[in-house]
Amino acid sequence: MRLPWLENNDNLQANLFTLVIHLALFIFMIFSVNWQVKTPYYAEVELWDAIPTQIKPKPLIKRATPKVQKPQPSIAEKIVEAKKDADIQLKKKKAAELKKKKAAELKKKKAAELKKKKAAELKKKKAAELKKIEQLKKKALEEEKLAELQKRLLEDEEVEKVQKKLLEQDDLERLQEELRNKDLAKETRIAIEGTQDLVAGTNSGELEKYKALIQQKIYQNVNKQLCGLDPLELIFEIVLMPTGDLIGGAKMIKSSKIESCDQAVERAILQAQPLPMPQDNRLFSQLKKLKLKFQPNGPIN
Amino acid sequence: MKQSFWKFFFLIWLVCISNASHALEVIEILGGKASQIPVAVIPFKDNNAQKSMQLMHEVITNDLNRSGLFSSIDISGVSDYPIDEREVNFSNWAALQSQFIVVGKIDAIGRSNSQMQVTWSLIDIYKEKTVLSVAIKGQPSQYRVIAHRIADTIYEKLTGSKGVFDTNIAFVKKLGKEKYSLFIADYDGHNPRAIVNSRYSIISPRWSPNGKKIAYVSFEKKKPVIYVQDIETGKRTLLANFRGNNSAPAWSPDSKKLAIVLTYSANSQIYTIDADGKNIKQLMRTRSINTEPAWSPNGKEIYFSSDRAGSAQIYKVDVDTNEVVRVTFEGNNNVSPSLSPDGKLLLFLNQDNGSYRVAIQNLLSNQMLKLTNGPDDESPIFSPNGHMVLFTYKDYGKVSKIGTVSINGLKMTPIDVGSETILESTWGPLSD
Repeated sequence: MRLPWLENNDNLQANLFTLVIHLALFIFMIFSVNWQVKTPYYAEVELWDAIPTQIKPKPLIKRATPKVQKPQPSIAEKIVEAKKDADIQLKKKKAAELKKKKAAELKKKKAAELKKKKAAELKKKKAAELKKIEQLKKKALEEEKLAELQKRLLEDEEVEKVQKKLLEQDDLERLQEELRNKDLAKETRIAIEGTQDLVAGTNSGELEKYKALIQQKIYQNVNKQLCGLDPLELIFEIVLMPTGDLIGGAKMIKSSKIESCDQAVERAILQAQPLPMPQDNRLFSQLKKLKLKFQPNGPIN
Repeated sequence: MKQSFWKFFFLIWLVCISNASHALEVIEILGGKASQIPVAVIPFKDNNAQKSMQLMHEVITNDLNRSGLFSSIDISGVSDYPIDEREVNFSNWAALQSQFIVVGKIDAIGRSNSQMQVTWSLIDIYKEKTVLSVAIKGQPSQYRVIAHRIADTIYEKLTGSKGVFDTNIAFVKKLGKEKYSLFIADYDGHNPRAIVNSRYSIISPRWSPNGKKIAYVSFEKKKPVIYVQDIETGKRTLLANFRGNNSAPAWSPDSKKLAIVLTYSANSQIYTIDADGKNIKQLMRTRSINTEPAWSPNGKEIYFSSDRAGSAQIYKVDVDTNEVVRVTFEGNNNVSPSLSPDGKLLLFLNQDNGSYRVAIQNLLSNQMLKLTNGPDDESPIFSPNGHMVLFTYKDYGKVSKIGTVSINGLKMTPIDVGSETILESTWGPLSD
């Protein structure tokens, strides 16, 4: 499809082109904004928000420091993915920048042409000073050439500059990306550590409390008389309902090799139902599956 | 957006991985209690209408209770008695804290219904299933033996050790002036029958491990001498009638030898002698008193009491090397040793503050546990499975009686063999 009206109108062409470029840039900006808005999953880590003592505020400061270079091996895949995306984004950005550059070039060219035209008109008007004009023209031409040369030089310089800038930007982007990934890794780690803290940290008080309650309730029922006198060990695994009742009985993992003892310990577990269970769902999930280790005749050396 | 999406999944994945690799919470339960298994023994449904047999569940209940490992559930408030698993209301029995129930029925069988068949089941209340289901035939007059065997079967199933409810004991009763009898009876004192009657005192009866003979000390020669009597034929032989006193016979585990005590050369000393009276050997030569020998189950050592350290304490001597090691250290005096069938527990009388109590000592940890309160307990001996102790005690400090105590110390039960004084008792081996 040919659009002669557009092809013949340099000004309109230039303006439209500029508009398109700006639009592209604007869209890219939206992309950028979206790209930046990745906070939601940090918000998920509310669980450690609820336990302020466990949150180390330092990582947040550290996030800004570019020192962290090595990404966590566990998130390498993520970083590669992110980088790939970043590269694509950067290429797009570069292309856009180049287009913008060209548009600016064109503008300048047109301005120069206009100048040239004016100079020509001036030459006509000042016919008397034709030679002079011609000289001027020549001069102008020379100037133009010079200007053009200068422009070109400038352009080159500018391109170089832009490229450099882009490279810098690229580096910056890459760094930022790296940092972002780093942060992601850190957030992830914190999130995981937060979960683990539930086990070993703040909530461990509650967890330990329930473990002790369960231990006590089962212990009351262990009839060690049925286990002889020699030191021995039994291991059972149980799965619990939130009510503290067993799902599917107690599974023996390790036998004492004395049937009456195995049976007695199994009965002790069954008899202890319902086991004390926390109301807190997160805590319950920690206690849902349990490994019970019995040493009825005292510790094995 | 795509990137954000992947980041989100990556995070989820990481959390999942961390959860998966996170080990289960471990709860360690160290030790346990010396508790009793609650059992309800339901009266068997009697289709035979023999009144005596309605007492079977009582015999079983008493047996299990006496062991100290079981506690019977009071079923007086229960109206309907199930006879098998299908009729059991598990939640009701669980509410009564019962872990097991024993149910059954008695049917008349054979020609003119002269025989009976007891069909019984042991049911696990928590697992809601039948653990054992057995049918036994016998004469109605044998109901006690049948009940004891049912109790033995339950005991072995739930404790892993043989029950001793179908075993015998022997005891000496002073029936009057110059009237002594050695009796054999069921372990709970029922069905007593005298195997020796004498005008002279009889002490220290000891059953041979093979169950065929009983050795005892008689004063009929105006001094203590040792006889060995065949239980089945009643024939007896004089094993030891040496110079001085002949006492404290103890069978070796293979029933081929006995350790005895002689005052042949002044002090009481331990000798070994073949069961036919030949081949006598002195075990140690010391100036102190060595008496009350008891063999270890492997036959390599003899435990005995001695005053060599001033007070009476228990020592052991290696039969081959004569090497002596002291075993007891707690209390003023420790006497009358005997070993559990597994050789891990030492049973003896511990004397402290003037009273004698039955005590056991774990030979691995050397921890001592007093089983009775005294003050005049005597002649303790293990049941053949080592879970109970038979001993004599003085009722209100006067008449000597016999009873059993469980080795967890939880259950002390008298054995009713009449009002006469019991001199000494012993426990026979497991019947084959």
